[in-house]
Order: sequence, then C-alpha cells, then structure tokens
Amino acid sequence: MRRSSTRKTGSAEKVNASSGSSDLFRSATSKAVSKELERIDHLFQAYADGSSGMIDPEGIESFCSDVEVDHTDVRILMLAWKMKAEKQGYFTLEEWRRGLKALRADSVSKIKKALPELVKEVTRPSNFSDFYSYAFRYCLTEDKQKCIDIESACELLDLVLGFQFRPQVNKLIEYLKYQHDYKVINLDQWMSFLRFCNEINFPSLDNYDSNLAWPLILDNFVEWMHGVQS
Amino acid sequence: MVLHKYGEKLYSGLVTTMTWHLKEIAKSIEAAQGGLFLEELNRKWGDHNKALQMIRDILMYMDRTFVPSNRKTPVHELGLNLWRDNIIHSHKIQTRLLDTLLDLIHRERTGEVINRGLMRNITKMLMDLGSSVYQEDFERPFLEVSASFYSGESQQFIECCDCGDYLKKAERRLNEEMERVSHYLDAKSEAKITSVVEKEMIANHMQRLVHMENSGLVNMLVDDKYEDLSRMYNLFRRVPEGLSTIRDVMTSHLRETGKQLVSDPERLRDPVDFVQRLLDMKDKHDKIISIAFNNDKTFQNALNSSFEYFINLNNRSPEFISLYVDDKLRKGLKGVTEEDVEVVLDKVMMLFRYLQEKDVFEKYYKQHLAKRLLSGKTVSDDAERSMIVKLKTECGYQFTSKLEGMFTDMRTSQDTMQGFYASQYSETGDGPTLAVQVLTTGSWPTQPSAPCNLPAEILGVCEKFRAYYLGTHTGRRLTWQTNMGTADIKATFGKGQKHELNVSTYQMCVLMLFNSADRLSYKEIEQATEIPAADLKRCLQSLACVKGKNVLRKEPMSKDIAEDDAFYFNDKFTSKFIKVKIGTVVAQKESEPEKHETRQRVEEDRKPQIEAAIVRIMKSRRVLDHNSIVTEVTTQLQSRFLPNPVVIKKRIESLIEREFLERDKADRKLYRYLA
Repeated sequence: MRRSSTRKTGSAEKVNASSGSSDLFRSATSKAVSKELERIDHLFQAYADGSSGMIDPEGIESFCSDVEVDHTDVRILMLAWKMKAEKQGYFTLEEWRRGLKALRADSVSKIKKALPELVKEVTRPSNFSDFYSYAFRYCLTEDKQKCIDIESACELLDLVLGFQFRPQVNKLIEYLKYQHDYKVINLDQWMSFLRFCNEINFPSLDNYDSNLAWPLILDNFVEWMHGVQS
Repeated sequence: MVLHKYGEKLYSGLVTTMTWHLKEIAKSIEAAQGGLFLEELNRKWGDHNKALQMIRDILMYMDRTFVPSNRKTPVHELGLNLWRDNIIHSHKIQTRLLDTLLDLIHRERTGEVINRGLMRNITKMLMDLGSSVYQEDFERPFLEVSASFYSGESQQFIECCDCGDYLKKAERRLNEEMERVSHYLDAKSEAKITSVVEKEMIANHMQRLVHMENSGLVNMLVDDKYEDLSRMYNLFRRVPEGLSTIRDVMTSHLRETGKQLVSDPERLRDPVDFVQRLLDMKDKHDKIISIAFNNDKTFQNALNSSFEYFINLNNRSPEFISLYVDDKLRKGLKGVTEEDVEVVLDKVMMLFRYLQEKDVFEKYYKQHLAKRLLSGKTVSDDAERSMIVKLKTECGYQFTSKLEGMFTDMRTSQDTMQGFYASQYSETGDGPTLAVQVLTTGSWPTQPSAPCNLPAEILGVCEKFRAYYLGTHTGRRLTWQTNMGTADIKATFGKGQKHELNVSTYQMCVLMLFNSADRLSYKEIEQATEIPAADLKRCLQSLACVKGKNVLRKEPMSKDIAEDDAFYFNDKFTSKFIKVKIGTVVAQKESEPEKHETRQRVEEDRKPQIEAAIVRIMKSRRVLDHNSIVTEVTTQLQSRFLPNPVVIKKRIESLIEREFLERDKADRKLYRYLA
C-alpha cells in the first residue's frame, strides 16, 4: 500500500509541483535553501524518466557514471538508504530530495564529495544495523515477498558485510552455497548473520552456544565449520 | 567399726583380703587343664558372686554410710572390679580366656557341638563386669577373628561354588551368627557380627557374584531362578549399594536383550510375534520382581525405563503394537472371555505407555481400525470400545475423538441404510443390495482416490442412495470411496456349481466385466474400470494368481501382472467351500514408501501442535529463553510424542517469520511474544 501511494506521488506531477511550491513557500525565509531545493529538483529531472516521473534503473546508471561509482557499489545502496528509497532500481522525487537534502548536496560534484562522509555515517554501529536490515528489505521486490533467495543473499552479504567481516562472509557464503536445507533467507536469519559477525569469535567460534536462540541455519553453519576445521 | 571411725581400716582390709583371695582363685583357675578351664572359671565366678552377696550384706552399714561419704566404690562393684583385675585381667588368664572362647566359637563354626550354656555364663560374666570389659576383652577380638575367618571362607567358597550355592552358604552363615548371638552373646553384638559377615561375604564379592559366569544374576534372570534371586535380593539389601548393584545389572541386561529383540530383522517380519515377545518379556520380569524382589518400586521403575528405552529404539514399534491389537481384535480374541480380553488390552496399553511417539500409534490405529470396521472384521464391539476407553483415559479426549467418530459413523450408517431400504421397499426387486457406510471426512484415514467406474447395475442403486441421502441431509456432499468397499457376488462355474465370492469393490468391478465377455486384455480392463494401475494389478493378482481362488485365468501364466496380459473367465474353478473369500494381495505391514509417507504425515501433523504449544507458552510467559521453551514444549507434548529440539527451533523460527514472536534485542537467549 505504501509503496503504491509513493508511486502515485511520483507519477502525478501536478501534485508534486504543488507540494514543491508549498515547500518553497514554507522555506521562503531562506532563499539559499529554496535555491538548493531547486537545484536538487533540477538534478532529479536530469535523470528522471519523463513518463514515470521517477529515476528508473537507466537513470540510476547514468547517475552512477556521473558520480563515477559503479552501480553495484555498496555506496549506491547507502545512498538509497539515505533516501529511504522504497523500490529497488527507482528513486522518486520525494526520496531524492530527502537523500540529497540530508547530504547537503545539490550537484554531482557535491554528491561525490559527500560519499566518503556517508560511508562513515553508515558504518557507525548505531546506523549500521538499520542500514543492514534496509539492504535486505530493499531486495524484496515482489509484493508480500518476505525472503530472498540464497544467491541474492550471498551477493548482498558480500556487498554490505564484506568490507567489515571478510573472513566470516567468505565462509558464510561458502556454506550457504554448499547447503541444501534452505533455498531462501528471511529477515530473521539475515539479521542474525550480522549479530553473529559482531558477537562470535572467528574462526574459533568458541563463544557460540547452540543452546541460545540462534536460528538453526547458524547452528548448522557452526557445525559445518567445525567439520571443515577438523 | 565404721561407727568407731575405723571405716577406712575396714574398707582397706576388705580390699586386701579379697585381693589375696582372688589371687588364690586365679591360681586354681590357671591350674585347670584344657576344657576344664572355663568350667573352673565359671564355678569360681559363681562362688565369688555368692560370696560377694554375703559380704555386701554383712558390710551393709559401711556400704550405706562410709562408702558414699568417702567416695569409695560400693562393695559389690568393688568385688567385681577386683575380680576383673585379678582374674580376668590376670596376665595368664586374660589371653587364655580369650583364646579359649574364640577357639570354641571357631569349633562351633566348623560344625562341632560346644557347651553353649557355659559360653553363655562366661559372656554373661564379662557383661556383668561392665560392657567395656565385654567389648574390650571379647567382642573386638571376636569380630576381628570372625572377619578374617569369613574373608578366608568366602574366598574359598567363591572359588569353588556357583553364585546360587555361594548365596545359600552366605545366608546360612548369617543365620548361624544371629543364632549364636541369641544363644550366648550379648544382644548388642548382633548388628556388629552380621555387618562383619555381610561385609566379608557379600559386599566384598558383590561384583564378582553378580557377574559370575554361567550362574550370575543374568543367568538367574534368564532361568527364572526365583529362589536364588530372592536370596540375592535379601542378602544384598543388607549392604550399601547392594540393591543398586542388582538393579544396574538387571537394567543393562534388559536393555541389551531388549535392544537385540527390537533390532533383530528376523523379528520385524512378524509384528504380532514381535509384540508378543515384548509382552512375554515384560511378564517374565514383572513376575521376577514381584516374587523375588519384593515388588521393589525402584526395580519396577528400572524395568519400565528399560522398556521405554528399547521400545523406542525401533521406530516401527507404534505400528507393530497397533498391528498386534488389530490381530487380537480381528481373530485372536475369539472365544476368549471378557476378562481375558481386558487383560490382553491392559498389557498392550502398558506397552503403549512406553511409546514416545504416541501420535504415530494413533495414526496406525486409525488406519487399522478403519479397515476392521469397514470390512466388518472386528470380533467384538465391546473390546473395541474398551480399547478406546483405555486410550482415552491415557491420553485424553482429543486423542480418541476421531476414533469415536468412526464408531458413530458406523452406527448412523446402519440407521441410514434401514431408512433407505424402508423408503425404497417397492422398487428394489432382485437388483444388487447396497450397504453404504457414510464416513465423516476427517474422522477416517481416507486417501483421496479417483473413483473407478462402477458396473451399471451398481451405479443405479448408488444413485438411488445418493438421492435418498441428500434428500434427508441437504447441503452434504457424497463421494464414493471405492477403494475401501467389499462385495458378495454369486457366480456359476463350468459344471454348474455355484459359489458366493466375497471380494473387494475393485475385484467386483473386474469380475462384473466378465458377465459379458470371456476374454479381456489388461488394457481393456483398465479402460473399462479406470482403477488406478497399482490397485488394479494387485486386484488381478489376487483373482488370477492365488491357488484355490483363481476365478480368472491369466495368459501367460506367471506370478506377476504385465500390461499385455490377457484374462479369461476360469470355468474350471473349483472350491470346497460355497463361500470363497478372495482377499486382495496386500501387505499387512507397511511397505517402505508407505512407511515414509506416514512418517511425513506425522511430521506435518506435529508442526501445528508444536507451534500451538509454543504460542500457548509464550502467551502466558511473554518473555522466555530458548531452553525453557524447549523444555516446556517437550513436557506439554510428552503425552503424545517427543518433539525434537531442532524441530522446535524450526517452529520458533517460523513463528518469528510470521511475527508471533521476536528475538530480544539485547539478550541472545530470549524470545518475546508479540500480541
């Protein structure tokens, strides 16, 4: 429901224009702010697809090449997190504004400059868990979809957790591809991966206790790890 | 003299005189030779006592006044003390007395008869001199000597006797010692001397006795040696760890034999025999415990836990126990009195109690009961009901509600059929008679099956019934379960002999085809009846390949049915019986794939039960750690099955996914209930 309503705001340009003007009106006291907003909107239009009123995958790709970041780079995902983008591969105007305003960037070069700061922000422990769960939800493209398949989960894991927990992620991906019990990963299991990486000594796993409330998939993983080690 | 303040003089005079006198006596006792020694001692002791009595009487005044005020020992006691010091503790007598006593006891132990009266007097004397004298001068060495005697003897016995004989000897020794105490020792010695015998003869050899080759506890159990077992129980009971030793050996023996029994592939072929063996084993050991082990509760528990252990080692036990009941209720209980039926069923219930997977039993029981009811094979309705009542008291209403539903269906079906024929009275000429059992979906273990094509004659009656039934019960749906029915058909063979064939619905469909044809190919039959291939093959096999029941002839003649076989009406069929029952070739025991399927169904059925238990628990507790949930779920479901912790974990995860529960943000162990 929410997703469709945002799509509506994206497609109905008139509504957008009026809301934009009301924003203008409210922030009329600060000319600089309104100027910034204008430039943000302007930048949006540069990438947006005229008919849908959204930045579609194509637009994102050209945006990526402009900021000189690969579109599969984790930083794009971080940007999407900052925008609170709902739908994979698309940015609505509202999301675009939210993200860019927060970054205080209204041009390609400013966005480029803001990226390292964004990385720092995301990797702060207080934000990372939110970003991490966002990454999972961002991958749920179908309505009522609650799980993502192992293949995508592995890629995502590599993307969002790889730079912090390389050895764990490598092993986990190896295991996920090896096992046949699970074909999909749900949010609960996904979140537990992060918790696992944060809390469990690796590779000794000596503080892992299968009597605690770890999901079964991690019990199996640990068992597999012990088997591999011995 | 006391009055004249000569008390002191009198008293010391008494001491010297008596001492001198006793030294004389000592000499005369010492002089006594051999056996006369004790007699002399005894006689002198008697004299001394008498003398002492008189002296006390004479000196009574001194005893009353002088002695207490001067804190002297009273005369009588003084006399005893002097006797002790001068006679008993006299250097020459002390050891000799002890040796003589011990020697006599030893002689008695080895079978000689001794003068018990004399012994009693002497020990009495020692007691009179004070219990410390008795203990120091006799009892302690006596116990020491006894210990070494029995240690030696038990060593000797254990080398040359088997367990039963050894126990007999030990028992006899123990009784002898108790008798000895009652005859000539102080009563307080009994506990001490028996504990010496117990320690030397039993405690020290317990392990060896129990494990003795060819005659140990295991052999006694196997051979039902009630007397030996009872003796062992009574003797071992006296020593610490004794009973637990017996119990442990019995338990491991039970587990071992039980394990062998349930894992022997030979035994798995015949489920009825399998269960019968279990029951026999239980009976045998129940009897041992009641006869030989004093109905000891701890032994009963050990027996129960052993059975529980090994019955559940074999995951087919629930199926087999149900098959056993099936067998009994089908035919095994014919001509047996009601009480005996109860006994058998009670025994089965006892095995049932050991089962961890009671839900699996329920599944099979339902299947078997359905077959019994539908084929009208059950021997006694009362027995059926009694079994269900037992299950109900054991596991509650839920467990049996469906089983009871099946009975209700059978009853209502009868009424319905009566109503049906009453209403159709005029129209049913000599057409086939139909008996319909209307089964409630859900109560019966029905498998959805494609209905086969019924012969036109039958179809007509079926339609009439459908119209009648739906007329009286609007809003219901009827589907025909042709795979569960039976039919009686009359057939005339070659020489004009008539037989009544009792067949299944499928077989009936096939046979009816031969009313209009003599030869039919497999394909033709399959097309005409639309019976599922596997069932059709089985059904044709039973019609054409079983000797004495081959109402059809098959070409080529072989045991198995092939797609291109042809079938003929066998007009050469003969049978001694007018009524011929043609059973379908069915495996009574489940085949591997069937077993697998049942297993899966059971697992599926368990999921909601486990989830319900988790939700119930979490609803009342709100927050709970993982281990506690697992424990509580296990206890809640124990009466039906033993849930696997991994499965419980899976269910928890599923509930988290469906947002009934969540993990606690901070504490790894905890789950929270989401209302």
